[in-house]
Amino acid sequence: MALWIEISPGSHEPIYGQIVSQVDRAIAMGELLPGDRLPAVRKLAAELVINPNTVARAYMVLDEQGLVVSKTGSGTFVADPAMADRDAAELNALSERIDGIIARAMNMGLAAREITRLFAARLKAFTGRRQGGQKDE
Amino acid sequence: MSELAVRTTGLTKYFGGAAAVDHLTLSVPRGCIYGLLGRNGAGKTTAIKLMLGLLHPTAGSSELLGCDSRRLTPEVRGRIGYVTEGHRLPRWMTIAALARFQRAFFPARWDEGLFGEMLDYFRLSAGRKVRRLSNGQRAQVSLAVAMAPDPDLLIMDDPTLGLDVVIRRQFLEGMIQLIQRRGKTILFSSHILGDVERVADRIAIIERGALRADCSLNEFRSAVRKVRLAVPDGMPDEVDIPGLLHSRRGESELELTLVGVSDGQVEAWADQVGAARCKPVSMTLEDQFIEFTSPGDGRLFEWEGE
Repeated sequence: MALWIEISPGSHEPIYGQIVSQVDRAIAMGELLPGDRLPAVRKLAAELVINPNTVARAYMVLDEQGLVVSKTGSGTFVADPAMADRDAAELNALSERIDGIIARAMNMGLAAREITRLFAARLKAFTGRRQGGQKDE
Repeated sequence: MSELAVRTTGLTKYFGGAAAVDHLTLSVPRGCIYGLLGRNGAGKTTAIKLMLGLLHPTAGSSELLGCDSRRLTPEVRGRIGYVTEGHRLPRWMTIAALARFQRAFFPARWDEGLFGEMLDYFRLSAGRKVRRLSNGQRAQVSLAVAMAPDPDLLIMDDPTLGLDVVIRRQFLEGMIQLIQRRGKTILFSSHILGDVERVADRIAIIERGALRADCSLNEFRSAVRKVRLAVPDGMPDEVDIPGLLHSRRGESELELTLVGVSDGQVEAWADQVGAARCKPVSMTLEDQFIEFTSPGDGRLFEWEGE
């Protein structure tokens, strides 16, 4: 994830609005992907040297617009329109675990196609087993 | 415990026959950064000195952290940091001696580690004499002295006046660092609206000693605005919208600067005088401040947010 926010005081647009439009643009350009975590409010406030409430307000507006999902305690995540009702934090954690498995497979020398095949095979075996299990009940 | 870090009630100070502070009633909630704005000579420094009990009011009263400003106890004083205008520090002292002197006022709270870290960050050695420091270095020492006791309330009188951009930024960083901790409050006066816009939650505007505005920065940003109306059928004789700050008349256009007036109200008035729909003109905080504080044809009035 890459997110560079630049703010300029003395602009016609209020500072929270500048943050909102830059995050909005980053999502539209694919620089921020669904499940990506936005910087914590306090961290971004310290980095940009602005009032933390201004960052919180920007995140609130983004949340209201459905662009991000805020989870108390775990942070603010870019929303996935396809999974709007899923738990963004859990999806993020899941993505990170998948990334770990991909990295390990690549270290073993597997090519992308082999990883995909392996994953598809495991998924098929798993769902088959689960359906089988359900039939037994 | 009071939810207000600062409260003034009808605070008034006369010097000779002139009111430097004129029935100032304002309150600063705990946990916010409050920017005190006003043109030169508006009474900001006098107001701050009254709050700190360094001057006695002609009338009215003020409280810091729930304690009367005229009778601040050592315990309450120990929770307040104050940065003077121009960063006046005893010139004959070394930085180390100044730190020892200051520490005596804040025996339980002074954080020598933080003070040392800030000096290192500013590349100042504790053995330096205050009188040998540049203005900027003196300001840095004064910031370190104000931050070291971990104040619950930090009051700074135009702290970044005349400082270069790097040191100005260090002050703002210090403010953000302090406010990120629970229950801290900062009141500062400033001329630099860019700094105010970065860090302030709330602002007060003082003019000739009196309060003109007291609201959140966002409310002020959306309350003061400019609209342009096309008036093809001739200018109205009088612009009688409540909330008018200024009006400028062009050939067939009327430009109005308004405060706290809704779109609906503007349109209703425009219909009444046969003017065409309004076009908003975007304003910077500086535009808004200038329009709000410069004398115009509108009457002076107070804007108080929610």
